Amino acid sequence: MVYKLTLTLLTFLLIAPVVSAQETVAASVEATVGDPPMIDSSLIPAPPSDIKAVDTDNDHGHSITVTWELSADDGSGMNNVLSYEVFRWVPFLMDELDTLRAELARVAAEIDSVGRLTSELKDERTVVRAAISDMADQMPEAHRMYPEGGEWRLLDKVVSGVATYENTGGKNREGSDYIPDFSDLYFRVEAVTIDSTIRAASGVAGPVQSFGQWFNTGRTAVFIAFMFFGIMTVFFVMKARRGSELYVRPLAGIEAVDEAIGRATEMGRPILYVLGLGTAADVATIASFTVLGRVAKQVAEYQTQLIVPTYDPIVMSVAQEVVKSSFSDAGRPEDYNEDIVYFVTQLQFAYVAAVNGTMLRELPATNIYMGKFFAESLLLAETGALAGSIQIAGTDEIAQIPFFIVACDFTLIGEELYAASAYLGREPILLGSLKAQDYAKAAVIVLATIGLIAAQFEWNWFIELFHVVD
Amino acid sequence: MKKTTFILMAIVSALFLLSWILKAGSLSGETDNYILQGFLVTFSAFLTLSVLSFLYADNPLYKFAEHLFVGVSAAFWMCMGFWTTIVQNLIPRLSDGLSKFFEQQPQPGDYNFFFFIPVILGIMLLMRLSPKGGWISRWPLAFIIGTTAGLNFVRYLRSDFIKQISNTFVPLLGTEWQGIGHFFSNLDLSASGQLVAIAANWVIFLGVFCGLIYFYFSKEHKGAFGAASKVGIWVLMLTFGASFGYTVMGRISLLVGRITFLFRDWLEIIS
Amino acid sequence: MDNIGVIISLILIFGGLVALFYGSLKGREVDRRIIFLFIFLAVAAPILFPMTFEEKATQVVKSVFDKVENLPEGSTVLLSFDFDPAMAPEVQPMANAISRHCLEKGHKIIFMSLWATGQALLSQSLSESILPGFPEKQNLVDYVSIGYKAGNEGVPNVIITDIQKMFPTDVNSVPLDSIPIFDNIESCKDLDFIVSFGGGKPGPKEWILFVGDPGGVPIGVGVAAVVAPQMYPYLPDQVIGILGGVKGAAEYESELIRVHPKFADMDTPGLLMMGPQTLAHVVIMAFIVIGNVVFFRGRRREKKE
Repeated sequence: MVYKLTLTLLTFLLIAPVVSAQETVAASVEATVGDPPMIDSSLIPAPPSDIKAVDTDNDHGHSITVTWELSADDGSGMNNVLSYEVFRWVPFLMDELDTLRAELARVAAEIDSVGRLTSELKDERTVVRAAISDMADQMPEAHRMYPEGGEWRLLDKVVSGVATYENTGGKNREGSDYIPDFSDLYFRVEAVTIDSTIRAASGVAGPVQSFGQWFNTGRTAVFIAFMFFGIMTVFFVMKARRGSELYVRPLAGIEAVDEAIGRATEMGRPILYVLGLGTAADVATIASFTVLGRVAKQVAEYQTQLIVPTYDPIVMSVAQEVVKSSFSDAGRPEDYNEDIVYFVTQLQFAYVAAVNGTMLRELPATNIYMGKFFAESLLLAETGALAGSIQIAGTDEIAQIPFFIVACDFTLIGEELYAASAYLGREPILLGSLKAQDYAKAAVIVLATIGLIAAQFEWNWFIELFHVVD
Repeated sequence: MKKTTFILMAIVSALFLLSWILKAGSLSGETDNYILQGFLVTFSAFLTLSVLSFLYADNPLYKFAEHLFVGVSAAFWMCMGFWTTIVQNLIPRLSDGLSKFFEQQPQPGDYNFFFFIPVILGIMLLMRLSPKGGWISRWPLAFIIGTTAGLNFVRYLRSDFIKQISNTFVPLLGTEWQGIGHFFSNLDLSASGQLVAIAANWVIFLGVFCGLIYFYFSKEHKGAFGAASKVGIWVLMLTFGASFGYTVMGRISLLVGRITFLFRDWLEIIS
Repeated sequence: MDNIGVIISLILIFGGLVALFYGSLKGREVDRRIIFLFIFLAVAAPILFPMTFEEKATQVVKSVFDKVENLPEGSTVLLSFDFDPAMAPEVQPMANAISRHCLEKGHKIIFMSLWATGQALLSQSLSESILPGFPEKQNLVDYVSIGYKAGNEGVPNVIITDIQKMFPTDVNSVPLDSIPIFDNIESCKDLDFIVSFGGGKPGPKEWILFVGDPGGVPIGVGVAAVVAPQMYPYLPDQVIGILGGVKGAAEYESELIRVHPKFADMDTPGLLMMGPQTLAHVVIMAFIVIGNVVFFRGRRREKKE
């Protein structure tokens, strides 16, 4: 017993200095490294958990969204998390790429200072650029080597309470923020306290690759509206082509045209038809051609005089064709003469002055203004009213409609002009698109009504359907 | 030339000269090139008055001012287009020699074959001027119309169609509806009150609803449909009235601008 | 002196109107040149003898004002001068007022224009109205003008993703890279607020369609009166506020003076224009009454016959 006790004591005496010496060495090593010697482990926050990294949706690539569960000590528990630091594993190849970029910037600066691109500088630049391109091509391979040949680098900090970070870079390989697509990227997040040495790291998320999407789901609503409208238009145009009867309600303005032509005939005075300042490609001008055709046909039948001063040479030639064929349709091709439609000038106010002069000299019984009009609308309509003519107008220029309304007897407001042309011309394309627009309007009425109910009862899912994001 | 026209022209010229001399005299202490400044102010005033003379009757002075304006503005737009787009945006991306010639900073790194495409399209567009090659200009024109239509279609569909539909989703009973009893016991007639908010929402809804019905062409406007379309046309007319009122305000502002110029810069009767 | 002038012109104008009204009751028609003359008098008199009215900012104007007021200092604001000399009397006053307000609040301003003619007006505004009140503000640090580029709606469509692509340099050919304001601004999406001043095409509407909606950037508009009604449907989601015509400018100016008294002595073209506006509107309303009297009398006489 005594022997055993003596042995233990001896052993202790022998070992103790060695152990204490080791402790001293460890302490001195820590001290030389310079880290704070004591970390109170009770202050280390719980790490952020459940870290996920996914390709950012609906973009052109070069971006990864990182999400995580907040640390248990963020907002609760010890509540000592100040921020999160997001890290990405970056291969050393990226540093070499940076060196090349710096080289490129140096060459660019040199070009700037020289003031022109010398052939040496140009060659130098081509070499550097090719090197950058080569190196960027190696990026996927370099990322595949994880964790060899690279290190974790801090990307950014986000404040506590936030559990998401979007690492968005550029697609330009020569830019410093380049993030390669289709490369395995790795992320991790650390919860940091006010003492930046006290931190807790999450696990690693990855590999994840960034890539661009072909379809932006945020714009689904636009896509559906586009499809609905497009299919409707095609459907009704085809229906009209097959000769189906598509109903368009009669319009007051168009009936007035018929009456006004009769009136002109009775009075023995001419009809003035103004096609506006639009080009032959404007929808309003195209619609106006159809109305002109109808007017010309009746004029031919009643043998009334028609005056069509035009602003655009192409519009003039189309209008001449329209009037000529209308006279033929009416069975009076011999009454047509080239001077019915004539070119005035392509200066806005000079044109107005000429037309106003015609109005005051010829005193037409009826003035018809259909097409695109701008500041001249009121000048024309006012002069016509002074001359005592009956006036019928139609335009899709919203700003000019009020002027026509006050100065004319009948006004076709906006779309009514298209409708009038579809009604008169029965042209399948016009008729079909008018029908499609009608159905679109019906859809709007229905959706707006449902939307009202949704807004009242806070059915946000319905309102969200109309939310478009980029 | 008629005698009265001759006399009038002589009077206008004499007044112009007089104004120039007086203006230059009054500016002589302030600027170095007072003769030019005097001319510019007098000429501006002359053009303003020439245009305003149209209110009395059409006359040669008005025609002169109008033609000058058309010519100068066309030239101005052309020059601006050339210097800001072709010289500043295109040339530095095409060639160093040209950049140097136009004293533009070349943009190293931006040489790109693609920038020759707009150059070619632009030249094709200019073929309009040629009597025989005019058809060539239709190709770039088709490109412009096609891209603009595509660009606008998506934007308009989004901003003017879908967004506008969702903007009509307003609660007809307001956002703070707590039953009819609560509504009447807390009736508030002020502009920020619940009643006004509810009325505003109803106006938006009915305005859109009836306005759309007015422009619905597939059904005859009879009965309830006709009544709604009547309301629709009233809403449209009210809008046009507001628009007209705003236009009057706009036009008067322009007149104020011109008269202020005449009184302050030309006649110097106000400061 | 001014008061006497005001009184004499008011007597002249309203006396004339009463005489015309009496004439119309007698069945006399009014020549259009007389209407022009009255409008001229109604506009010219308050310019000679200034008449000012108190303005209170309405909600649509105030929301633009509050936006500028409440943005944190150092925010970047883009102001686009999309107008020509014909629109300038209406639109320039509001552009000047908002520019001053932004500078006063310490925001950084990027000035530009979608109209060729806007660039000249922009530099005029800067040198004559805006900058003299802020001698401490530095070009390229506190504000920068990147000028005009052709391309109509193509311009906002490009700068929503990359400003440099369309504007490699500012108006003085300084590369955008080297301008401190653009350190953190790559595209319009990075801006805190955009205000477009205009009324034509391209203009405020294009900014809403091509930048505001797709980029989610708050947009305010200052428009010529003619197009103001066409902007209202975009309230409040797509534009936060509208300054419509001179009235909008006057309201903004009065709000600016009320909140920042240091601007009490600034030139207030908007407020000054409200005098001629008010008088001219009264005259127009009088002529509407006179016109209707003549019209209905004529119709009654026709019926009798």
